[in-house]
Amino acid sequence: MELKSNRIALSNGIFLNIVETDKFKSNLLTVNLIRPLEKDEVTLNALLPMVLERGSRSFPTKLLLERKLEELYGASLDLGSSKRGERQIVKASIEWADPKFTGDKKSDKEAVNLLKGVLFDPVIVNGSFDDNYISQEKRILISRIRSRINDKRNYAISRCIEEMCKGEKFGIYSLGYEEDVEAIDGRKLYEHYRSILMTSPIEIFFVGNPDGLELEQLLPTELHNRREILFIPREIIPENYMSKRQVEEKLSVSQGKLVLGFRSSIPYEHELYNGLLVGNELLGGGPNSHMFKTVREEKSLAYYASSRLIKHKSIILADAGIQFSNYKQVLDLILDQVSRLKSGDFSDEDLQIAKKSLENSGRSIVDSNQMISEFFLGKVISKDERNLEDMLGDLEKTDRDKVISAMDTVTLDTIYFLNGKEGETDEENLEQYS
Amino acid sequence: MKRIWNNILDEGLIHLQLENGINLYYYPKKGFTKKYAIFSTSFGSNHTSFTEKPNGKIIKLPNGTAHFLEHKLFEDPDRNIFERFAKYGANVNAYTNFDQTSYLFSTSDNFYDSLSLLVEFVQNPYLTDENIEKEKGIIGQEIQMYRDNPRWRVYFNCLSAMYHNHPVKDDIAGTIDSIREIYKEDLLLAYNRFYHPSNMVLFVVGDLELDRIAEAVNKASRRFPADAGTPVKYYPEEPAVVRQNFIEDYMSTSKPLFYIGFKDTDPGKTGKASVKKDIVTNMLLDILLSESSEFYQDIYSQGLIDSSFGAYYSGKSDYGQSMIVGQSDDPKRVYQLVVELMSNKTSPLNEDAFLRAKKKEMGRFLMGLNSVEFIANNLTDLYFQGFYLMDYLDLLSETTFEDLLERFERHFSSGESVLSVIWPEGMVK
Repeated sequence: MELKSNRIALSNGIFLNIVETDKFKSNLLTVNLIRPLEKDEVTLNALLPMVLERGSRSFPTKLLLERKLEELYGASLDLGSSKRGERQIVKASIEWADPKFTGDKKSDKEAVNLLKGVLFDPVIVNGSFDDNYISQEKRILISRIRSRINDKRNYAISRCIEEMCKGEKFGIYSLGYEEDVEAIDGRKLYEHYRSILMTSPIEIFFVGNPDGLELEQLLPTELHNRREILFIPREIIPENYMSKRQVEEKLSVSQGKLVLGFRSSIPYEHELYNGLLVGNELLGGGPNSHMFKTVREEKSLAYYASSRLIKHKSIILADAGIQFSNYKQVLDLILDQVSRLKSGDFSDEDLQIAKKSLENSGRSIVDSNQMISEFFLGKVISKDERNLEDMLGDLEKTDRDKVISAMDTVTLDTIYFLNGKEGETDEENLEQYS
Repeated sequence: MKRIWNNILDEGLIHLQLENGINLYYYPKKGFTKKYAIFSTSFGSNHTSFTEKPNGKIIKLPNGTAHFLEHKLFEDPDRNIFERFAKYGANVNAYTNFDQTSYLFSTSDNFYDSLSLLVEFVQNPYLTDENIEKEKGIIGQEIQMYRDNPRWRVYFNCLSAMYHNHPVKDDIAGTIDSIREIYKEDLLLAYNRFYHPSNMVLFVVGDLELDRIAEAVNKASRRFPADAGTPVKYYPEEPAVVRQNFIEDYMSTSKPLFYIGFKDTDPGKTGKASVKKDIVTNMLLDILLSESSEFYQDIYSQGLIDSSFGAYYSGKSDYGQSMIVGQSDDPKRVYQLVVELMSNKTSPLNEDAFLRAKKKEMGRFLMGLNSVEFIANNLTDLYFQGFYLMDYLDLLSETTFEDLLERFERHFSSGESVLSVIWPEGMVK
């Protein structure tokens, strides 16, 4: 399947992107409001989709809304916010089974209208969201913010970013801050909602069969008269960083979580960026990576040992779950793997494998309607005009020298270690295998 | 060759019984770039005891053997299996659950070579005392990782309170102590008994050619003795009652987590009957406890639960349980309310809710068919229960409201339930 989207301007700063295909058994419609990641609105943006999901004027309670979704063959309505570089995306989407298989043609229109209602026509009383909903969802948001600690691997990753990017917008936590939740009320959130509808760049994606859906008529009248559209600048890639932080935190856990944060000065627009992408893949991209092969397979020090590249900030995070006492050994091993890449100590075969693996994940985008939507959103955000084939072609051209030059810019910034509390670890059992 | 087709979906399976005994199924998925193969044995963490013949002597394997073997099959005399797949651009992986062990890969390129490699490595174990000892460090860290996961712990605590003897109460990977006792002899014994082609199935999904699939498998597979004598899985006697009603523990977590379990006192179903029970029970839980229920909306507004609340049934011929999960500041109150709901004779079950639940299940199944992984994984799971995925929609439409009423009465009236809670450390109750 050739991946192409038909891009239509619906209003000032609002674009509809249609990817027409009969490959899937469902249709997917996604609306993305793009916001800058800012301390003073991150919490509002996190709360808003939770409140919108409670109902619309046509389906004013969650119960009615949920029952309608069941009628629509279990259509899945999904509202949420997420962080993408130094942007926050407020997303609303609906996916429903293609009437071709259910035999219920009217579900097409109804699903589109349901999403429209939830996003553009919420229940508003005297210029405010329902106070009951607000207080319930505030409580849930606080509990979600606190529950960051439950998943220790992700917690460690998120804490490393927070420490490493202190003072940068990227260090802002995507769900916002507990103290800011308290200050929100129905009126304040409604004002914010109005303002982001009128000022945000909005990208709408449809993947499936658009016949008869009248997607061009998606917007309410008022959105046709938008004036100033927010300009969101590209993330800053700091040239000089001397932070070199070392952070240790103690919790009662059985396994230590080590996270190393590295920075590169190569932005994603640069021709060497593919070198960084391939370099990261070689470092910790999969089971053939240097980290997996040394930390796990050779030394049996970890079950997981991998690395990821954060595109918009040119940050590499390498992490492993380890026995506490192996901290130094694993740290040295990972740093050693980075040095090896800088000095070109990797085989041509491994280089090919890394490129092949990246190509493989690129090619599989076309098999998922969600990934197709995300792919096109990514292109808009990073102003990338290339199509998938061009991107894969550029990747293929990445040679050894590019990887070395790119990896040469990679410097260690922050070491984060989630350690156990003294006396609570089962050292005796663990030492058996060291 | 046999075709098992669904005309509404215009999708289905082609079955080939290969010379060496492998059951091969191909599910064509036209227009998909990704290709996926999954090779499985019906040997999981529950199968720690078996006999060579009916009523024979019981042979016991250490807990965690199936999972350990899964790790070790990736070993090869010259180079790591991961590397060989990576060379083809394929992502290889494996998983072990209670009932099966599966080896799988996905790729957009070099599919047939990768398929040969899959069959080759699963059929040729390379076990040495040394590489087995080395793996204990890696699996030890995997066990520790799960030990730090409160969701995992609250789940297994629930199972351990529910079951007296059935091995479903034990962690899939075993424990640090039990894996220490795993040696080459155990792994070879398990391998020889459970990896015979007659105990396995291979599913392939993607835009492919049947002849080339068969050729790739035939080329790589080796001959096993014709009659390996299929082992008989042994499960110790399990009482219908739960072991204890309440279990608790403390961990580093933000809020109390809970699992409420209802033990299935009516196991023993196989094939279509077993899958139907699965569908019916999950529909019941959906009607009573999902976001479209009054019960959910009530306790959500009261602040007792959040959107992590959910319920599902899982079971096989030898065990089964409904699980209701979530986080709450007052899990005991949630438990009490759930038990009341389930023992209420004038429950909120009605035909409208049933029809909605049925539509929902139909749509969700259709959406699942967008994913080659969903197709292959569910094909495998259902196959081991003696059922074909393509017949799922038919079975769903045969399901009646009376089926639900009957199942509700049978499953929830026994009152055999458990509450498992993980409290945040230092929390004063």
